[in-house]
Amino acid sequence: MKILLVEDNERVSQFVIKGLLEAGHTADHAANGRDGMFLAASEPYDVIIMDRMLPGDIDGLAIIEVLRKTGNRTPILILSALSEVDDRIRGLRSGGDDYLTKPFAFGELLARLDALHRRSQGVDREVPLSVGNLHMDPMTRRVTRGERQIALQPREFKLLEYLMRHAEQVVTRTMLLEHVWDYHFDPQTNVVDVHISKLRQKIDAEFERPLLRTVRNAGYMVTAGD
Amino acid sequence: MALGYVALGITALVLFAAPLWYAWQVTIQDGRSEILQADSQRLTDVYRRDGGDALKNFIATRVQMQIAGDRILLLTDSALQPLAGNLSHWPGNLPTTQGNYRINIDIGERATQDTLVHVAQLGQYFLLVGRDNKLFAPLERRFWYGLTAAIAVLSIAGLLVGLITRRALMSRIYSIGQTVSAIIHGDLKHRLPTHLSDDELNTLARTINGMLDQIELLVHGVRNVSNSIAHDLRTPLAELRSRLEGLALVRPSPETTFAEIDGAVADVDRVIHIFDALLRLAEIDAGMRRSGFVSLDLADLAATAVEFYAPAAEVRNIALTFHADGPLSVSGDPILLAQALSNLIDNALKYAPENGVIDVAVRHRADTKAEIAVTDNGPGINDSEKTKVVERFYRGDASRGTPGVGLGLSLVQAVAKLHGGTLELSNRDPGLCVVLVLACGEAHAVSKSPAAASEAASGAALRNTATTAP
Repeated sequence: MKILLVEDNERVSQFVIKGLLEAGHTADHAANGRDGMFLAASEPYDVIIMDRMLPGDIDGLAIIEVLRKTGNRTPILILSALSEVDDRIRGLRSGGDDYLTKPFAFGELLARLDALHRRSQGVDREVPLSVGNLHMDPMTRRVTRGERQIALQPREFKLLEYLMRHAEQVVTRTMLLEHVWDYHFDPQTNVVDVHISKLRQKIDAEFERPLLRTVRNAGYMVTAGD
Repeated sequence: MALGYVALGITALVLFAAPLWYAWQVTIQDGRSEILQADSQRLTDVYRRDGGDALKNFIATRVQMQIAGDRILLLTDSALQPLAGNLSHWPGNLPTTQGNYRINIDIGERATQDTLVHVAQLGQYFLLVGRDNKLFAPLERRFWYGLTAAIAVLSIAGLLVGLITRRALMSRIYSIGQTVSAIIHGDLKHRLPTHLSDDELNTLARTINGMLDQIELLVHGVRNVSNSIAHDLRTPLAELRSRLEGLALVRPSPETTFAEIDGAVADVDRVIHIFDALLRLAEIDAGMRRSGFVSLDLADLAATAVEFYAPAAEVRNIALTFHADGPLSVSGDPILLAQALSNLIDNALKYAPENGVIDVAVRHRADTKAEIAVTDNGPGINDSEKTKVVERFYRGDASRGTPGVGLGLSLVQAVAKLHGGTLELSNRDPGLCVVLVLACGEAHAVSKSPAAASEAASGAALRNTATTAP
């Protein structure tokens, strides 16, 4: 992915750019609003990471609004030290696609960037999903692994659907809470893990190759690879 | 101040007296000129009937007989030479044309001032009829004495009352000032002196005391919280420090190093979590969230939460049951209510024993309130702890050794307050029942419509799936 980072804090920028390059992406960096606006408007990026608070007269939200007004549809992830829900709502209303508060885990950032990029590629809600020999038909809500049909409760279905739509990507606990339960807070328990292990029992228990894996310090991934 | 009031009183008195004085003067003036005219008419009649000589005699007789009294009479010929009367000569400045005049007359032994005279021309004679004003002088004097006395009494009384009031006021303001400066110097326990009366200052003092109570409570809370924050942040930070120090000193194998780094990240996450929780509490306290209120179904919200925690309950063999009468619409912040409910269920899961029972019930109360009751069969809490558990960072004896920072119930209470509700705790011997009461309009009451009935049925179905007891 080609990613633009608009961020004035030098340490954060270095840390993010280094991480993005290591993850195999190409990344440009703008340290202020003017450069950010110029780059965002002139180069085709897959995703833009936008810091909300920028020095000078142009802040992150202003850039986003201008970009959206001029018809730029590049997915934008807002980075902010402001975690209050009102700020989050304002960020998303101004045209941002996702919101991540500082401090954040880098895995969380990568996972969200992947999800944003994937979403912007256009996902057909009705197309059957497959990972390895695990198949899901969102229309009929039928889930099979190999020849075997798997009975899932509605929420388990939603959980697996989200994981499969983001197959081969790390999905964090926070992302699952937000998209599967619509919980925009951290319940501070391992309940998500328990849900995952229940789901794992249903789809992986009697198969040699597990599809639903835990990614240490990051989250989960549904993958057919090794 | 007092002087100002006295001046104001005097002005009012003068303003009151002036028109009175004017009316009085006008009335008297009119009366006097009428009398004069009548006198003059009578003399004119004598002249018309009997001629000038008769009039001359008539006047002379009257003057001699002292009938004239306080009247001034003068009859002159055309050269203004006196013929009869008690005036020695025609006043120099008095015109001879007919009419009423006010002049000063010097009549030999007595000088009059501001005398009203009537002048009439009768053939070749000039007649002057006047009346000395001295009769009215005492009346006028009495009026002026009265006014002066009133002004004097008003001034003295006003000054006295003013001084007394001022002294009383100053002494009270002084004591208030003393209290306030004690408060300024940091001793928030002081209260303004009040007494039983209901005067303005007392009412104000009582209001200010109420404000001081609230401020003391808040400051106490803030002090407590900052102490607790300092304490609670020390623990993970100390662990983090010792981990990093250990790594720096020992330089262990890569596996151990990675494990330690994971531990360090977890320590930092704990710190971040504490800050997040505090920020959210501050946000709720400031009432900033009310803009995010939407109409939502409390039963649906609770069902989601119960379903979310069901696997966790299952793992510990705890029966987590859910009851709802049907959909229950309230106006609220969905994120905060979900978090509050999640905190309550999470708490119940922490304290319920293995194979325990937790029940979540959503009910409509008669008094336009909705409630979510979470009941467990854990150890419960002492009565003495009931008010403390909602304090920020408070952790009861029972919570020793369980994860958490002691902000859970504080958040639930703040959320309840934001929604115009309360948080009620009661013991169930054994166990604890926590009830989150929320305000909901009467219009939102559960109706027995077919739709509600079918929702109730789905609620029952959900209850079955949520019941995870073996």
